Amino acid sequence: MALEGEGYIADPAIATAVFLARDMQKPLLVEGDAGVGKTELAKVLARLLATELIRLQCYEGLDVQTALYEWDYPRQMLRLRISEGQDKDRQDPRDLEAKLFSRDYLLERPLLRAITRPERPPVLLIDEVDRSDDGFEAFLLELLSDFQVTIPELGTIRATHPPQVVLTSNRTRELGDALRRRCLYLYIEHPSLEKEVRIIRTRWPQAQERLTHEVGRFLQALRERRLVKPPGVAETLDWTRALMSLRQDSLEPEVVTLTLGCLLKDRHDLETVTPSEVASLVSRAREAAQP
Amino acid sequence: MREVKEVRGVSGVRDLGLPLAHFLAHLGRALRAEGVGTSLRDELDAADALTRVDREDREEVRRALRIALRIPRPAFETFHRLFRILWDAFREGEPAAAPTALSRRPAESPALPRGRPPSRPLQWDPDTRRIGDTNAPGISVEGDQPGWSPEALLRRRPFDQAEWSGQELVAMERLLARLARRLATRRSRRLVPTRGRGRPDLRSSYRRALRTGGEMLSLARRARAVEEPRIVFLLDTSGSMDTCSRFLLSFALSLGRAVPSAEVFAFNTELSHLTPSLARGKLRLTLDRMAAAVPDWSGGTRIGESLEAFVEDHLPYRADSRTVVVILSDGLDRGDPGRLAEAVREIRLRVRKLIWLNPLLGDSLYEPAAQGMQAALPFVDHFAPAHNLESLERLLPHLRI
Repeated sequence: MALEGEGYIADPAIATAVFLARDMQKPLLVEGDAGVGKTELAKVLARLLATELIRLQCYEGLDVQTALYEWDYPRQMLRLRISEGQDKDRQDPRDLEAKLFSRDYLLERPLLRAITRPERPPVLLIDEVDRSDDGFEAFLLELLSDFQVTIPELGTIRATHPPQVVLTSNRTRELGDALRRRCLYLYIEHPSLEKEVRIIRTRWPQAQERLTHEVGRFLQALRERRLVKPPGVAETLDWTRALMSLRQDSLEPEVVTLTLGCLLKDRHDLETVTPSEVASLVSRAREAAQP
Repeated sequence: MREVKEVRGVSGVRDLGLPLAHFLAHLGRALRAEGVGTSLRDELDAADALTRVDREDREEVRRALRIALRIPRPAFETFHRLFRILWDAFREGEPAAAPTALSRRPAESPALPRGRPPSRPLQWDPDTRRIGDTNAPGISVEGDQPGWSPEALLRRRPFDQAEWSGQELVAMERLLARLARRLATRRSRRLVPTRGRGRPDLRSSYRRALRTGGEMLSLARRARAVEEPRIVFLLDTSGSMDTCSRFLLSFALSLGRAVPSAEVFAFNTELSHLTPSLARGKLRLTLDRMAAAVPDWSGGTRIGESLEAFVEDHLPYRADSRTVVVILSDGLDRGDPGRLAEAVREIRLRVRKLIWLNPLLGDSLYEPAAQGMQAALPFVDHFAPAHNLESLERLLPHLRI
């Protein structure tokens, strides 16, 4: 699988979704818990297609000026002042105007850059789209359906190559139906044991085989508990890295308790998982990982 | 069959065989019947997706359909079940048999446990001063004492239109609209044009300068927008709240009209989502829909469990850090106060403000001594009485934007 070559372990659902999104030329909406690899998917896709990744991080209050384009007012102003000082008879005011509202004075923001890239279609990652407000979502709809933008002073700019769009959402709010309908939908689950072990192995090949297996089992057991924020793959990888720096080749209850902060990022979760419980989880993980 | 024609009608999808188009149309209809909103456009995309995958591989077909039909995570199980039934029927080469295959499925209805005695007409019972099925055993045993019965008694409270005057309703609506605005209005981080103070907006300042020959006489400004209220109401409809059930009803009704964006839930022994039944329409119809939506009107209370259900199923999707949650309950709970406290804590962590309105607080003799109430209080931002319009009105000045 090509994705795997780039260090991304994909299950069949992810592979199918990526294939269909490319083949059908449709945006892909990716949802799932934090840390399951939604953003990573877009990054890997860009590497795989050997193209640029253009990222738009959404936040509340994101507006068209920050996302699409803006005129470079200070420079326009400067140009005006300079021309005022010059000889009035020699210049045509229409000329000046055309110059002022040309591409030179246009600041391209991510969305505009994504549709004007001349060489090859980039991957456009619209990250955490659920954080933007409804107004911005409606604007995205327009862009995603036609891939064209109208700038009053310049006219309509059509995409030279429609970008491959990946939207991610953490489901902090329900996205509008209209946006959902424009996209293909992928839900990434927490990885299975086998997949998780493969992910750790791919990312940290120098980790001990035994440690990799134990970490995988421990994480699977930990996720079965009712946690406010279940650890994702990102946390697994961080933790493995931490254990490696501490020169561990197997899980020890004391070390696990000390490094639990790599996995559980919520005070309540840290309190509920007591040291004795860690000990039992560790011993079970070690037993299960025995060859 | 219209749907099949339309699915086949799109160019590029024509090479999809007729049986497969039939299968898709059946699947779409079955999904809609189960409440998974699948549109024709989704079906067309699904048909398109099917032309691109290996149609002999059942797993691949299932994955492709799930992605192209945009099945949301909570509906995965429904989708897999329907797919299995319909795909098998389709593989056997009898797509027409599919609907029969579906109807063979035993009827499921979580709200109505099987073995329920056939319903009899409801009658007014002068002794208990309640309308109920007087012949049914068990009803008379349930006395005045509030509490929960393990089996939710499927009594439906009759809602009589004559119970309140139209004027009252209108006043209520007006007040609630004001209340909601006060409760949940906030300044967004988005900037909108304003005539008053705000940050200079160069873009429109320049545009405006065109009118005066390029001379910028005044600066256009932008200020933070005022956001639509995001508000979730949780109404206690248990027996102990019976005395104010009339108030509750009009509250829910007016809310649906005054603040259409509000989400309304009712809870007693279980949680029910009321928002869909509050849609605008005839009053009588709305009341019927509400009666049908709340399975155990005036039954027992399990606040903790109900709020837990809310936290599990609805909190992530219907509330965020901008939402205000209002719980309207007396806090008389027969469940475990620890669970209640835990649920309230989780709600508080996720939302902007948590307000508890207590109808009993109107009684000067009342102290919030109930265990449940005690457990919940530390996590509540505002604790205020709500037994009539007046008390709600008094609440207004205390709530700042």
